[in-house]
Amino acid sequence: MFDSPLVLVSGKGGVGKSAVAAAIALAAQRAGKRVLAIAMIGDGGGLAAHLGAAPLDFKPTEVRPGLSALVVDRAKAMMEYLQIQIGIPALTAFAPFARAFDVLASTAPAIREIVTIGKVVYEVQQGEYDLVVADAPPSGQIGSYLRAMKTIGELVPSGRILEQAAWMREILEERTTLALVSIPEELPVTETQETMAQVKEESEVAALRVISNRVLPVLSTDRESLPSGRAGDAARLHLQLQDEQAHWRGELPADLDLPYLFGVVTPTEVAVRLSEKLGASV
Amino acid sequence: MTRAVLVTGGGGVGKTTLSAAMAVTAARNGVRSLVVTVDPARRLADALGADSIGAEPTPHPTEKNLWAAMIDAGASWAGVVRNYADPSVADRLVDNPFFAAASNHFPASQSFAAAEEATRLVEARAWELVVIDTPPAVGGIDFLTAPAQMTDLVGGRLLRWLTGGRLPGRRFFFDRTARPVLRIGDQVLGASLLEGVAEFLMDLRTTYDGVAHRSKEIESQMRKAATIVVSTADPTPIREAVRFFRELPEIASRPKAVVFNRTLPTDWIGARPGRVRVELAENLSRWGREAQRQQDLIGEFAGRYRTDLTKIPWRPEPPTDIDGLAGLMESADGFDLMSLCLVGGDPHTPARS
Repeated sequence: MFDSPLVLVSGKGGVGKSAVAAAIALAAQRAGKRVLAIAMIGDGGGLAAHLGAAPLDFKPTEVRPGLSALVVDRAKAMMEYLQIQIGIPALTAFAPFARAFDVLASTAPAIREIVTIGKVVYEVQQGEYDLVVADAPPSGQIGSYLRAMKTIGELVPSGRILEQAAWMREILEERTTLALVSIPEELPVTETQETMAQVKEESEVAALRVISNRVLPVLSTDRESLPSGRAGDAARLHLQLQDEQAHWRGELPADLDLPYLFGVVTPTEVAVRLSEKLGASV
Repeated sequence: MTRAVLVTGGGGVGKTTLSAAMAVTAARNGVRSLVVTVDPARRLADALGADSIGAEPTPHPTEKNLWAAMIDAGASWAGVVRNYADPSVADRLVDNPFFAAASNHFPASQSFAAAEEATRLVEARAWELVVIDTPPAVGGIDFLTAPAQMTDLVGGRLLRWLTGGRLPGRRFFFDRTARPVLRIGDQVLGASLLEGVAEFLMDLRTTYDGVAHRSKEIESQMRKAATIVVSTADPTPIREAVRFFRELPEIASRPKAVVFNRTLPTDWIGARPGRVRVELAENLSRWGREAQRQQDLIGEFAGRYRTDLTKIPWRPEPPTDIDGLAGLMESADGFDLMSLCLVGGDPHTPARS
């Protein structure tokens, strides 16, 4: 299911996308692959917790044999982008330029996105890992990251950044899977459908997969004869939730179901349990 | 005097539903109530009589005392600019490609727009209670910090960084020899991008006085509002709730209560199933473990932050009508949220504060 060298994991906030990204990384590592997990936005706290790692840095650190992780720090990513990818000499008025570039990243369309996703794609291009898994921005924003190369093309008539955008686009369109994590409820399903329609229309990635998270086990009991008391109450709640989930699973068929984890507390345990379910598909 | 209740919290925890439920319950107790929401789910919008609801408050078709308004945060950010910039500058700003990008990258602009809209409705003094639901993408504490961040943005912080310290005149950007930054910028980005950004920022700066003044008014209204933080017993939304207690002293008043939505009965923990089929016993044991997990997380939070708690039982489906919304408040357990809405305690006396 994840046979491309880059998997971007996105989804509506709160559906467990960091957990799923960590689980994919752990499953691939167990299968003997060299894996890099990347937190694309924020401080990477969620991904680190799920991997059972110390706070992440821009420099990859090994969290398990064969599994490294990093967080994209925008300022550092920008330096690396400008020096290595764009080829600005290190000594050329660097501080003011980086500062000006940071302003651009806050205002101009696509600059921040291209620097962030540029780091991810760069790691794929370097070929040091068999699989790069990114805990990507939520589905509301993922489109602007995938479109960043195109947007740059419309905005910037010439310049080195354009040449750079071309090969980035190639990796996304030919070697990248976008995994959208959802849970079978109204808002996540609607948002996932919208994201899918958008991504498909613009054919921004090679493959699109839907992962349904927190899927309840099926309770096939006679609904008419539920006992009174707690067991009956728990069954009634379960059956109602199950029906609600069945409806939204019908609306959004998934390529893969991940189970609701009853009573599991620590983020690391969540990721490990999900990675066991993922096992064969990675 | 209008009582304002600000409902905040991470994404997907049920803020909008709770906001609507509070307004419905207050309205049924004779309080003239308005709920201000941002982008509600379809079914909830239907329950509020969505067909006719827009940015301006509309009365509910059947429910006396209940009004609802829905804010389009994107549209109102353009509205803010139109309020505070010269008409000619405003057109140029809104049409500028950087404008859309800045609003996407700068969630504070959307929060500011929503907060401004909500403040306007509170200031109208047409309602005794205004319940304000916060935007889903931001939701948490960022809603309260938005006015200050917005002032900072239009105040030229970015512009000063771009030019290295001083606020320039327009001519500055055409003087290539003076600015190596711009020369390199041209190589990398082509000639026009930095100039375009600078022009945009200079236009934006003309709104500074208006925005700064308004920000103060918004902050003062938000400080007077009773803040509620909504969460579920899950790590991600709890992290957002915790930020309120760690970062709030500098920003506004302490939240009046934390609401845990979707809670399970604690008497399911370790419960004996009685004489039932194996499948049902196993099901109770699973949900009992889940109830235990919730209790541990809520207990840890309550022990650390010592705040009033309200628990709302887990319902499989969000309420689809007004009665369902009222029922949600009736099922709440713990701190009485309606005490924040019905000032004075007598439901038949108009709210005062």
